[in-house]
Amino acid sequence: MPAQNQTAQRVQPPQLPNWLRIALVGRNPKVTLARIGILVVTCFIIFKFALFPIRVEGISMLPTYRDGSVHLVSRTAYLWHEPQCGDVVSIRLAGPHVMYMKRVIGLPGETVAFVNGQVLIDGQVLDEPYEKLACDWNLPPEKLGPNEYFVVGDNRSMPPEWHTFGKASRDRIIGKLLL
Amino acid sequence: MKIIFRLVLAVALVAFGVWIWTVLFPSPEKVIRKRLTELARTVSFSPNEGNLVRLAGAQNLAFFFSTNVEVNIDVPGRVQHNLMGRGEITQAALGARSAVNGLDVKFPDIVVTVAPGKQSAEADLTVEVKISNEREPIVQEMKFTLQKTDGEWLVTRVETVRTLSILNFEPPRFPSIVLT
Repeated sequence: MPAQNQTAQRVQPPQLPNWLRIALVGRNPKVTLARIGILVVTCFIIFKFALFPIRVEGISMLPTYRDGSVHLVSRTAYLWHEPQCGDVVSIRLAGPHVMYMKRVIGLPGETVAFVNGQVLIDGQVLDEPYEKLACDWNLPPEKLGPNEYFVVGDNRSMPPEWHTFGKASRDRIIGKLLL
Repeated sequence: MKIIFRLVLAVALVAFGVWIWTVLFPSPEKVIRKRLTELARTVSFSPNEGNLVRLAGAQNLAFFFSTNVEVNIDVPGRVQHNLMGRGEITQAALGARSAVNGLDVKFPDIVVTVAPGKQSAEADLTVEVKISNEREPIVQEMKFTLQKTDGEWLVTRVETVRTLSILNFEPPRFPSIVLT
């Protein structure tokens, strides 16, 4: 008899306290499972097709975006309209893992030039409230093609040869920075 | 119940068979991707590597390229080099190993397009180079052309892709990597 009692004790599943069971699996485990499934699918769709997180590496977007900060890029931002002057965009290289993050300052058909650190668009000075660091760049006028955007970082305190900037074709711009 | 079990078992067996097939006979894209990842590993070297290891690494690099390979590296503000043949690549690799303390090369994105005959291919890739003592990595898009020679995919041409271009601006060169 004592042996039977011992066996019965071993088979009995461990009972969780009621509050812990509710905290872990909810009042109705099936509904909880369905909620988790919907959440996973929604997150997958959003982060695969609409938004993707990026981590900034480098100082070319200072002081607006700091090295190491994390942001979200919207892939759907340019479905209904084209990139605008002042937008911060992500530009793809060969694939999706490493991208450039730059600000659009020139639109298709415009002529962009730098004179004593000031940006001239078709000969007119561009107002850039985001540019807070001293710049002394001088670059000759560059005419943009029908499908080209001029992009540059906000940190122009470094010499232009150390800064990656220039004309990007529209198909390389994959999204707009949201946050 | 028995039918469902058999059906699940059959699907699992088919999936296992497909997986085994892809492991034993990988697609050219997969082979090229693996080869380029190996290439990046061979180009890289750590600061505490011995001279013999560095020499072996530089010599091993040649085996990834065809004998008549043409390499055009043009990173704005950094380096511009045109190399021809395996010998020049080995020399350049040795030069880089003596000029900088450590180099970490990665290809985070590799997009492979195999030609219809499956004897040649093009790989568009992002190169990320971290030089020891330099805070910011160099990021550059490049295009590799590969040819299948004696069953092995060898690089025949390397070109720099200008992701962002400026026609009227030619930056001065400050070679942080001295390749020759």
